Amino acid sequence: MSRVMVVDDHPMWRDAVERDLTGAGFEVVATASTGREAITRFAATRPEVVVLDLQIPEPDGVQVTTEIISLHPAAKVLILSASGEQNDVLAAVKAGATGYLVKSASRDELLEAVRRVAAGDPVFTPGLAGLVLGEFQHSAATEVRGDKPTLTDRETEILKLVAKGLSYRQIADRLVLSHRTVQNHVQNTLRKLQMHNRVELTRYAIEQGLDAD
Amino acid sequence: MTRVSPREHPAGIRTDTHIQDVRGRADATLPTVSAWTSPAAIEVESRLFRALAVLRVVVLINALGLTIYRAANFDPPAAALVCALVMVGWTVFALWAYAAPARRTAVLVGADLAVALGLLLVTPLVKGPGFQASVPGFWVSGALLACAIHYRWIGGLLAGVALAAVDLAQRQEIDQAIYGNAFLLLIGGPVVGYMCESVQRMALERDEAQRAAARAEERARLARAVHDGVLQVLALVQRRGGELGGDAAELGRLAGEQERELRALIRGEQPGQGPAAGMRDLAVALAELETGTVTVSGPATAVEMPARQAEEIVAATRAALDNVRRHVGEDARAWVLLQAFPDHVEVSVRDDGPGIAEGRVIEAGEQGRLGISESIRGRIEDLGGKAELITGATGTEWELTVPRTGVHA
Repeated sequence: MSRVMVVDDHPMWRDAVERDLTGAGFEVVATASTGREAITRFAATRPEVVVLDLQIPEPDGVQVTTEIISLHPAAKVLILSASGEQNDVLAAVKAGATGYLVKSASRDELLEAVRRVAAGDPVFTPGLAGLVLGEFQHSAATEVRGDKPTLTDRETEILKLVAKGLSYRQIADRLVLSHRTVQNHVQNTLRKLQMHNRVELTRYAIEQGLDAD
Repeated sequence: MTRVSPREHPAGIRTDTHIQDVRGRADATLPTVSAWTSPAAIEVESRLFRALAVLRVVVLINALGLTIYRAANFDPPAAALVCALVMVGWTVFALWAYAAPARRTAVLVGADLAVALGLLLVTPLVKGPGFQASVPGFWVSGALLACAIHYRWIGGLLAGVALAAVDLAQRQEIDQAIYGNAFLLLIGGPVVGYMCESVQRMALERDEAQRAAARAEERARLARAVHDGVLQVLALVQRRGGELGGDAAELGRLAGEQERELRALIRGEQPGQGPAAGMRDLAVALAELETGTVTVSGPATAVEMPARQAEEIVAATRAALDNVRRHVGEDARAWVLLQAFPDHVEVSVRDDGPGIAEGRVIEAGEQGRLGISESIRGRIEDLGGKAELITGATGTEWELTVPRTGVHA
């Protein structure tokens, strides 16, 4: 079973999640209650999956995600958030998180999400799909430079179906595709979203003159 | 600008915010006498005095040139030198005196005006009663504008009246040019004074707006911290309650309801996202429809629409959700998706019920049970949009498409 790290500043939550994961056979190699702890302990224990709360003491969940992915790009980050801040969720996914779950999700949903993220499959709630779709539609309407990747019609269609609450299985049936193909499309949308982030960072660097030798 | 440091002790911040609230309200009733002594108003005044300093030098050079050119008109000729020295001396003194806000007293402004009036008054003595040009000429505008800047339109008006009256009173005959100059003095003073006042008001309003923004930011930060804690507990109660079952499950369900309500509330209160007057954020309005069985998804950015349109769309969506409850079941799951495009919005409402059998819609129409569907269609078509009902193996779906007609629709 996968090696997991749990990051949450509320001890009751940290313990509950740790208990659930251990009970299901996951190896919880570390826990952390602040962003700083999370980064040092991640570097020391190299877990495969990080279950991460967004609202933690400095640096916040988004920065921790960025740091973890740059330290070890193969690591998987699952956001487990109580926060109503959609922009934070979107920012974390742009920074490289591949899954998002609200804290009110049941234990079974959490375990399933950790299993899927560990296997390399993105965990999309309809809410996250709506956010990602909105992000691409927003940039399509406002972008003038055209250096940000856009979604293919197929990817948009699949994302819409995810946002409308269909399971990957139902989507595969409706579009006459394999389950795997649907997953690949969803994964591609995440990859492109993360590229958005890189384009934005590059633009920022150029504007600030940071690209000069 | 007042900024509350985000790292201060929360209790301290609350007191600060309270005090600022009270002060903010006092500032809002513009202008009180003390408003003119506020840092923002003084900053505006200082800027204008710096500009006036340049003007003073220009009019001084002009006056000196004319005095030298017309030195022959002076009797005795030495009087020209004395007058020129007075103007140079006073200008240098004024540049220094007006540079510091503390030195800009009534005595200074009064003396400034008195020197200008004095030079006008000595004109007939040194240039004879039939003089053409007064000794100081345009040099008096320095004193005039100083009065206007420091005492606003009323100061400008009084100084203008005094200068024009003294100038005109000494003339033996008044031609158009002389009248024109006097008239300019009369209107120039109040106009500059009024403009100074307007800029000061704007500076005060800007300061107030900045303070309000800082307060809102701080409140939002505090609210985030408080809300996050509450959301955490509600989510945990919901989760543990569901696992324990029985009465605890009911508690869990209640906690879940509260959690969603709080989440929707927070979404509507994010700083800097308040919609303009008469507009509504459709994303926030739809998010309020979320329940334990209804999931609402949409973009993270605000989707501003005219309030009436947004309300109609929300009403149509609510009707579609009622339909789901009625035909699929009380605890049927449903998903609402909002998509925003530059020229239109799309709202889809889907359930995962068995779908409506072919012919059932017609049958329902015959039995007069199409009320809800018709009300959804009617509302959307009134907005110039289109409502489609798609039914199949993966449930029934309403697709509502409404054009975005802009702010004045």
